[in-house]
Amino acid sequence: MKMRARLALTLVLLLIAGASLFLYAARLSRPPDIATAFPRGFIVVGVDASLPPFAIDDGEAVSGLDIDLARAIAQSLELPIRFVNISYYGLFDALISAEVDLLVSALRVEAARADDLRYTRHYFDNGLILVRHSAEASASLDDLPDNLQGQKVAFELGSQADARLRQLEDQHGPVTRLPYELPSYALDALRLGQADAAIVDATALRLYQRRFPDWRSEAQYLTRDPYAIAVRRDNREAWQLVDAALATLKENGELARIIAKWL
Amino acid sequence: MLKSPRHSLRRTSKLKLALGSVLLLLVAAIYALYAWTASPAETIELGQAQTVQTTKPLVCAHTLLENEVEEWKIQRTLELVREMGATAIVQFFPWAYFEPEAGQFRWRQADLIVRHAKNQGLRIIARLGLVPEWARQAGDGSNSSASTDTTLNFLPEAAFADFAAFSARLAARYQEAIQHFIVWNEPNLSFEWGYRQVDPAAYARLLQATYPALKEANPRALVLAGALAPTNEALDSGGSLKEILYLRELYQHGAAPYFDALAVHSYGGTEPPDAAPAAERLNFRRLELQRQIMLEYGDAAKPVFITESGWNDHARWTGAVRPAQRLQYTIDAFEYARKHWSWVQQLCIWAFRFPAPVYGYPDNFTLVSPAFDKKPIYHALQDYARGWDASAARWLPPPEGT
Repeated sequence: MKMRARLALTLVLLLIAGASLFLYAARLSRPPDIATAFPRGFIVVGVDASLPPFAIDDGEAVSGLDIDLARAIAQSLELPIRFVNISYYGLFDALISAEVDLLVSALRVEAARADDLRYTRHYFDNGLILVRHSAEASASLDDLPDNLQGQKVAFELGSQADARLRQLEDQHGPVTRLPYELPSYALDALRLGQADAAIVDATALRLYQRRFPDWRSEAQYLTRDPYAIAVRRDNREAWQLVDAALATLKENGELARIIAKWL
Repeated sequence: MLKSPRHSLRRTSKLKLALGSVLLLLVAAIYALYAWTASPAETIELGQAQTVQTTKPLVCAHTLLENEVEEWKIQRTLELVREMGATAIVQFFPWAYFEPEAGQFRWRQADLIVRHAKNQGLRIIARLGLVPEWARQAGDGSNSSASTDTTLNFLPEAAFADFAAFSARLAARYQEAIQHFIVWNEPNLSFEWGYRQVDPAAYARLLQATYPALKEANPRALVLAGALAPTNEALDSGGSLKEILYLRELYQHGAAPYFDALAVHSYGGTEPPDAAPAAERLNFRRLELQRQIMLEYGDAAKPVFITESGWNDHARWTGAVRPAQRLQYTIDAFEYARKHWSWVQQLCIWAFRFPAPVYGYPDNFTLVSPAFDKKPIYHALQDYARGWDASAARWLPPPEGT
């Protein structure tokens, strides 16, 4: 009798656990509801409009890569959009307190914020890039650090590029260091033949290439620094919708077009 | 088959015995583990006593070792400070950590810091502050917990003597290793004064209480006042006060006999280090305005210690400069102080390293990452302090033809 009761209890518990799992899975697989995700009926986007070309406020309106991206997402969700210009350090509080629905503001993915928010897939990688003249490019990324030994490498003094170059020197041997005040000067040195290579971040390189469209160079990432859109952690539906919209923009080439417009 | 009650009782007793034995073993194992991890002598070898190699004895860094959990990280941090060519550290010794109950002292963290700093040959400038709960209730007059309404920076006047007594105890304990003591931090900011209206007269009385206690505990002690925060806040702006006004009031309230030197915070903001000082500008040379007040009150003989300084290069903070500027300005600041301010004894960079990232602009004040990666500015300061690179310009001119 005792055995039977135990068996029955175990079966009941298993049934409850199974049903809970089923309900949870059903909830996860349910298509996200726009009205639940954005109950205001429009999307409120927090942005720090002090970082061109990602976002800038000219006094009348905000513009930039992040602004165009947010508009494209809103358009694909068929929702109106509003921007709130907030200083960088106010962005996260604004999101957590639901003052805004999303942050689209050149945000690095920081695992330490995972308790409060979710990041979408990344839309831009601002990692460090090793740049060389086109004809001198190496066959693979693995070859690049060795090839730098003894070469003249230009970089922005004190920057992440400076720190990364020191690491490469520790691993592979010394280079001739060419420190400049700005990353654009480092690229000037490369373009003008005064350096064999330069290390800059992706934004600096793309802005420079816009200034000198005829200059041919080869570029390969040395580090990764992905930018993504942030959504409040408890608004899973919004995260699903925005991430899916971003995926579509990547697939149909719209994201590339937006990036090419500003960078 | 039925079992007798006696049989059942015996079985229960055996079970209890076995359970008790397991528990005892568990407690013993936990205690052994604790003893093994808690004993500093057993975990880290001190190594050979070191001497700082430097050509610029002015160089100093503010460390944050009070919250460092692992001893090897304390040791490694101080090794890097010494290898950089710095002669001194400013280090916080929070009262609340070391005397959590009145008369009950826990010195382990302080012992570790002092032991390793001494072994690296570094001078320690001890910053004192942070009030334990029991002292925050002093003079409350009720049995209610006043500490629930106060912050750790709240020091009631009734506890000034307790603070002085703790300071003296610390000075006596480390009298071979610590000769410099900063009494409180930034008392001209409401936040640092327990979220009250700041009170130069009360701070003068705190100095008056602490100074003789420190001197009695260690006659060689040098008592530093101030460490005032550069701010443009006026009296009616919410509780803080411009440091220039605060220092003047401090003198007017008779604080001069109760400090041997002035601690000063001198950040560069977005301006180069040679930018002229002005009452409404926050820049590196602004400390000259405090020096002027010292001269007015006949305190020219007292030295100044810059216990916090530096520039920030966070890309998203409006108070920051570019990385190359941060590096150049920092070196230039040391040169400026060396050439123009004979009365400055140390220039300490805030901050050497955080135990963990804060994920914000303060991370970009540091010289070394939490993972002990030396930032480019660390190398630049090392080149400068050790005399390895005497060039004035850190970067190349823009390439010709641009």
